[in-house]
Amino acid sequence: MENSVGKSINFIKTSEKAQHQATYHHKIGHKHGEGSAIDYYAYASKIRHWNPGFKVAFSFTTLLLCIGLNNPFVSIAVILGMAFLTVVKGGLPLSAYLSVLLIPLTFILLGTIAIGVDFSRQPLGQFNLYLGLGYIFTSVDKLQEMAVLMLKVFGAISAMIMMTLSTPSAEIIGVLRKAHVPKLVIELMNLIYRYIFILLDVFNNMRNSADSRQGYCDFKTSCTTFGSVASNLLVVSLKKSNAYYTAMEARGYDGDLVFLEEEKPFQISHLFIAAGFLFFLLLLWYVTK
Amino acid sequence: MKEPILKVNNLHYSYGTGNPALKGVSINIYQGEKIAVIGSNGSGKSTFFLNANGVLTADHGEISYQGTVINKKNLKELRKNIGIVFQDADNQIIASTVMAEVGFGPMNLKLPREEVIRRVDEALTYMNILDFKDRPPHYLSGGEKKRVTIADIIAMKSEVIIFDEPTAALDPLNAQMLEEVLVKLGAEGKTMLISTHDVDFAYRWAERAIVFNQGKIIADGTPLEIFQNREVLKQANLKRPAMLDVYEMLVEKKMVKNTNDYPTSPAELKILLEK
Ligand SMILES: Nc1ncnc2c1ncn2[C@@H]1O[C@H](COP(=O)(O)OP(=O)(O)OP(=O)(O)O)[C@@H](O)[C@H]1O
Ligand SMILES: [Mg+2]
Repeated sequence: MENSVGKSINFIKTSEKAQHQATYHHKIGHKHGEGSAIDYYAYASKIRHWNPGFKVAFSFTTLLLCIGLNNPFVSIAVILGMAFLTVVKGGLPLSAYLSVLLIPLTFILLGTIAIGVDFSRQPLGQFNLYLGLGYIFTSVDKLQEMAVLMLKVFGAISAMIMMTLSTPSAEIIGVLRKAHVPKLVIELMNLIYRYIFILLDVFNNMRNSADSRQGYCDFKTSCTTFGSVASNLLVVSLKKSNAYYTAMEARGYDGDLVFLEEEKPFQISHLFIAAGFLFFLLLLWYVTK
Repeated sequence: MKEPILKVNNLHYSYGTGNPALKGVSINIYQGEKIAVIGSNGSGKSTFFLNANGVLTADHGEISYQGTVINKKNLKELRKNIGIVFQDADNQIIASTVMAEVGFGPMNLKLPREEVIRRVDEALTYMNILDFKDRPPHYLSGGEKKRVTIADIIAMKSEVIIFDEPTAALDPLNAQMLEEVLVKLGAEGKTMLISTHDVDFAYRWAERAIVFNQGKIIADGTPLEIFQNREVLKQANLKRPAMLDVYEMLVEKKMVKNTNDYPTSPAELKILLEK
């Protein structure tokens, strides 16, 4: 990872470090699965210090408005607004933002195409294409409907992505805790989140060591190796959970899992800007409906 | 004679699999002692530590902390006062930010929030990792994680600190930093037990050494006594510290006078040679 030696000796200035981390995260991010890259981005975000409760509430309200108002102009405003927050305010490189968006975008395209086009034996609609067995056809209305739907879903997703790319999971869990989600669920989420990374690590190590011993040389061997790695992973995770519990007990755990959470002060100015944005969306809807 | 801070009497423990891991361990530990726990792999060091902290309950035998015998009711007191830094940092770190991790112990002690925050900052500063505060632990290197786990225990302000092979994952610079931390903790009067396979470190740092072999303590004394006892070294498969060999060779070749003033580090040897 980073050069621990240099850091232990002298503290690098925070601003320099943030920059360093941003570039560094970006480089590493693509090597991991996209899941952990998102985790990196959230951590490196410049708006991470904003009150997490505010971010969660704001993105949910935006999402609801975007879906509820069902208006292409509102959707576009949401898409632009969220991109602005994530890229300009949050300091996420545009290419990284696009690569995160690309995943849902593929699904949206595939999903909405099914709505926009239809099949028929007869040539129907304003545009059709003969395919031997029948016609694919569509019309301007249908295409428009498809575009509106696409924008709406895209806007809703970018509101969610704004939240996940600026708020580390631990903080989102903290917000849920404050929203009185049952304690058991919160504790599970906390442990699972930490556990995912441990197991990923263990899995990577096992896979690499199997690979280095020619465990993936042909298809048959790969299958056996995968089987043993997977079953080993189960044993390891059971053992680890035991060791984990031991370590928690050693530090006085007695059935209540409570973590120290950082209080991030709520900025009144954010509230005004957010309210302004939401009001603008409503106004836009009113003007264009 | 002083009352021992931790008194272990005839401790027996076996894991579920049946093989006994501890077979009658007795030891008195006094306030402020710096103890190296040595012994080959599987000799029962980690098991002993977990028993001493009260996480594992002995099949037989008793533990007293500052004169009070530990039972189910005051177990918490024992855990509060004896902290363990685990061998594998990944088995210890449970929170998803460094701050929450270091605050976990103090939160369990039910301290007020301000006090927890103060202790977290203090412990992070102590280990020189204040700038990792908001980081998720899974983006730290092995050595950095180790430092977080040490900060975990420092934040609990335990009287007795047990380190289970702390130097194993560290590069030379971080190992040296750890030694500095140990010296600092020693100066604060903490009682420390460290298990290690690094005989040079044990020889240099400890005031007292305990040798485990197959679930028993086979020797207990100053590191010098232990490392001069060839019988014990052979039984426990231990090497002699390099400085001890070098010194004895120098004495044998009459290059230094035999003053029984054994140097434990190259720096000390240099002073001796310049005399
Ligand atoms: N969780 C466990 N379940 C069953 N047996 C165990 C478990 N942990 C340790 N043992 C056994 O108990 C014995 C003592 O192990 P312990 O971990 O205390 O050794 P150690 O001195 O710490 O060794 P090392 O230097 O390798 O850390 C060993 O024989 C080991 O196989
Ligand atoms: Mg051990």
